[in-house]
Amino acid sequence: MSPYASARIAGRARLGIDLAGALGLTGMLLAYLSLSSLVPSAVAVGYGEPFWPFLAAGAIAGGVGLGLARLGRRRSTGPIGFREGYLVVSLTWLLAAAYAGLPYLLSGEPQLSRPVDAFFEGMSGFTTTGATVVTDVESLDRSILLWRQLSQWLGGMGIIVLALAVLPRLRIGGRQMFESELPGPEVNQLAERIRDVARRLWLLYIGLTLVLIGALIVVGQSGLDETLSPFDAVGNALSTMPLGGFATENRSLEGFAPVTQWIVAAFMVLAGLNFALLYRALVRRDLRALRRDEEARLYATLLLLGSILVFVEIFDAGLFSGEAAVRQAFFQATSLMTGTGFAITDYANWPALSVMAMIGLMFVGASAGSPSGSVKIVRHLLVGRLLRRELRQTIHPELVVPIRLNGQPVDERTLRAVLAFVVMYVGIFVVGAGLLAIHARFGTVELGITEAIAASAGTLGNVGPGLGVAGPMGSYAPFDASSKLVMALLMWIGRLELLPVLVLLTRNYWRV
Amino acid sequence: MKIVVVGAGQVGSTIVEALHGEHDLSVIDTVRDRLEPLAYRYDIRTIEANGASRRAIQQAGAREADLFIACTSRDEVNLVACSFARVEAPRATIVIRTSNVEYIDLWREGRLDVDFALSSELETAHAVARSIGMPAARQTDSFADGQVQIVELEIPAGADVTVVGRPLREAGIPDDSRVLAIIRESSMTLPGGDDVISEGDRIVVIGSPRAARAWGSLLAPGERAVEDVVVFGGGQVGTAIARTLSEQGIGVRVIEPVLERAREVAEQLPGCRIYNATGIDPDFLERERIGLAHAAVFAMREDAKNHYAATLARVHGVRFTIAVVHDTISTEVYELSGVDVTINPRAVTADEIVRFAHDPRTQQVAMLEGNRFEVLDITTKPESEYVGLRFREMPIRGALIGAIVRDGKALFPHSEEILQAGDRVIVFTERALVADVEKVL
Repeated sequence: MSPYASARIAGRARLGIDLAGALGLTGMLLAYLSLSSLVPSAVAVGYGEPFWPFLAAGAIAGGVGLGLARLGRRRSTGPIGFREGYLVVSLTWLLAAAYAGLPYLLSGEPQLSRPVDAFFEGMSGFTTTGATVVTDVESLDRSILLWRQLSQWLGGMGIIVLALAVLPRLRIGGRQMFESELPGPEVNQLAERIRDVARRLWLLYIGLTLVLIGALIVVGQSGLDETLSPFDAVGNALSTMPLGGFATENRSLEGFAPVTQWIVAAFMVLAGLNFALLYRALVRRDLRALRRDEEARLYATLLLLGSILVFVEIFDAGLFSGEAAVRQAFFQATSLMTGTGFAITDYANWPALSVMAMIGLMFVGASAGSPSGSVKIVRHLLVGRLLRRELRQTIHPELVVPIRLNGQPVDERTLRAVLAFVVMYVGIFVVGAGLLAIHARFGTVELGITEAIAASAGTLGNVGPGLGVAGPMGSYAPFDASSKLVMALLMWIGRLELLPVLVLLTRNYWRV
Repeated sequence: MKIVVVGAGQVGSTIVEALHGEHDLSVIDTVRDRLEPLAYRYDIRTIEANGASRRAIQQAGAREADLFIACTSRDEVNLVACSFARVEAPRATIVIRTSNVEYIDLWREGRLDVDFALSSELETAHAVARSIGMPAARQTDSFADGQVQIVELEIPAGADVTVVGRPLREAGIPDDSRVLAIIRESSMTLPGGDDVISEGDRIVVIGSPRAARAWGSLLAPGERAVEDVVVFGGGQVGTAIARTLSEQGIGVRVIEPVLERAREVAEQLPGCRIYNATGIDPDFLERERIGLAHAAVFAMREDAKNHYAATLARVHGVRFTIAVVHDTISTEVYELSGVDVTINPRAVTADEIVRFAHDPRTQQVAMLEGNRFEVLDITTKPESEYVGLRFREMPIRGALIGAIVRDGKALFPHSEEILQAGDRVIVFTERALVADVEKVL
């Protein structure tokens, strides 16, 4: 062999990952996801609205997906591994958002006619954020409206978790991708096979959604809430269970009766629990598991504390009294903490302290293993225990203190990851707020410091509404295109729990 | 009785030493150097083989054996030996020594097919817990599910004058207790009413747990119950000690020099504080106020380290020190340098095992004073000459009945009490007389 042969091979820039394989898998996922366009098509037919935008969007996504899948089959060097997983997850969600935006663009809806707006709305849908650029929701076609709600519902439990549950053969172990969509120590232990776990979670999710739809329809039809049509019932249930936040009316849920608002609040609380625990509690009738779980307890405590704080403030300011004050406080605190983003009043006008409490709650999130975004309760719990340990070890440097969660020691690597997550989360939030403020400086929208903060926290945490123009009753429409792109990226990063996206930004990921 | 012993280590040899006189012993071990000294000293059969081998067990005469003891230091060997013995020694009572508490639990649940399982670590931990409950005690043992305690106490300077320096019949002895023996230098007397306890003596007392505590406070007035114990060494013994103490509501701190191990211990013992430190760093001892601990237990692997650490801890102000002994000679070294209590895990384990070699009626045996005396727990036969006698009428033959257990309840008999057939009696006696005592009762 010539001495130059090896030098030539080493000289070639080589990818450390199986790019073709990853693209192929992404394509396959997208192709399957494109089937979801049949639902709004059918709705469009039912309401006598144009159905071709959905079919066209489905066809485009399906075509692209199949093309990628074919490329993957031809060029792939082997089965998809741990490393490719991050790329697959990140790319799938990016493409899913684009696919969700296609019908908006194709339908010629004037409020969503710009590509960046359609992409923003699509991303906001799949990531269950609930931030919208549509100012007048009620003027949208029913089918378009339902597609918005449906995209939230599909994104809630995770696209890949869904794929794992229904696809005959996914050429991956799946656990790692599963975890980036639905993290949580408990989730994996529901069954031996990841596919069975995914199936159970989805069945529970579907079951709870059906119960909510049923409850809302009963409320609407029995005259308890005359404003609630069956369409509203289905639409809002589809965005409540994934803790999404898209509403079927311009003023979110403000127009509905108190009983509707209470029901939605209760289901937000439920959906904010770890679904694995919920499965045990509801399906296996093991309520104690829920009551004993430390995360669930902290979740309940924080919900109560947040509600009480807001209640005292709005009651003291004389904004509401009696049942209304309790409902307002509980609903808003729950909506923001779980990252739903529904509103039953324009809380942006509330006194400063309660608005601050609301922004604070956006950083709390709900339980791990729920469709919520943001930091999540369990991370707060662990970081709190880490800090307490740090204080103890200041006095007793030699003390060895394992940190426990539900009595089980948590290993140090996980703790480091949790701490890193929180730091990165805050870092990205700050960068996001900064970018928005800079854009606002040169752009058209009037954006104060709190509004920039709220917009960044609201999109990164997959909450939805911010303050000011983008407040609970407003929309993100006035922002310029680059700001919308920044926020769409924040939603994407936030939904995937930072890591899969951030990893792609490192050189080491791509190299051998 | 025919007995097969697998393992001639410290536990095995202690058992042989205790049993060779009255029983026929076969000892199996892989190491000739451990068997030879035993074979030269005692009249026993030795087999140089792996205890986990079926042939070796057959060769040792398992078929006729009445008792089969697997007491090597390796759990796996013991388990395999016992499972063979179940088939090869159909008549035998099977006793297993294990270092794994999990096996003990399995045995308690009836899922380990042996008649008796015990662990050195657990026995040691119980011994430590007993002596920490009784700071003045050198050794304690409990009988009848803890209703009866036998305590060996040292009479320190400054002990309460109600018991010291006056004849026993006039002394204010706590209720429900009895002085079984007074040991002065190397002679022991079974005391009568005229005998006097004096400073520097050691006494053996039997009584209810409450009486035992009363004795403790009489002899060491002003001492309070132990609340804070430091355990040096987080090995299996140290962990077992820490767990046992912590279960009794005592605050425990554990010092373990290896970080990995310290983590494991910390994960196993949520109620204890674990330090990753050597325990011989004066700065550390000062910073963590180790000197304020009520007691310190030294359970590290090496006796020399235990010795040094114990001395250092005493320098720092720890008043009560307990050390675990690995080499028999260390007992003397420890005691000479002022360690208050020494506990030899192997001796403790051997004690427990030896009781199976006694009369089947004998429920529990403790050995005091380096095997010179024994405490027996025997159920009386109806034909015994002692049945129906008042206690004051009983002839004294070098043995003393300290307590009786009737219908599951412990009594501390007065002189007018009458012994009934079927009573369980707890008897204190010299080694040489054990067989006689078992015969007459």
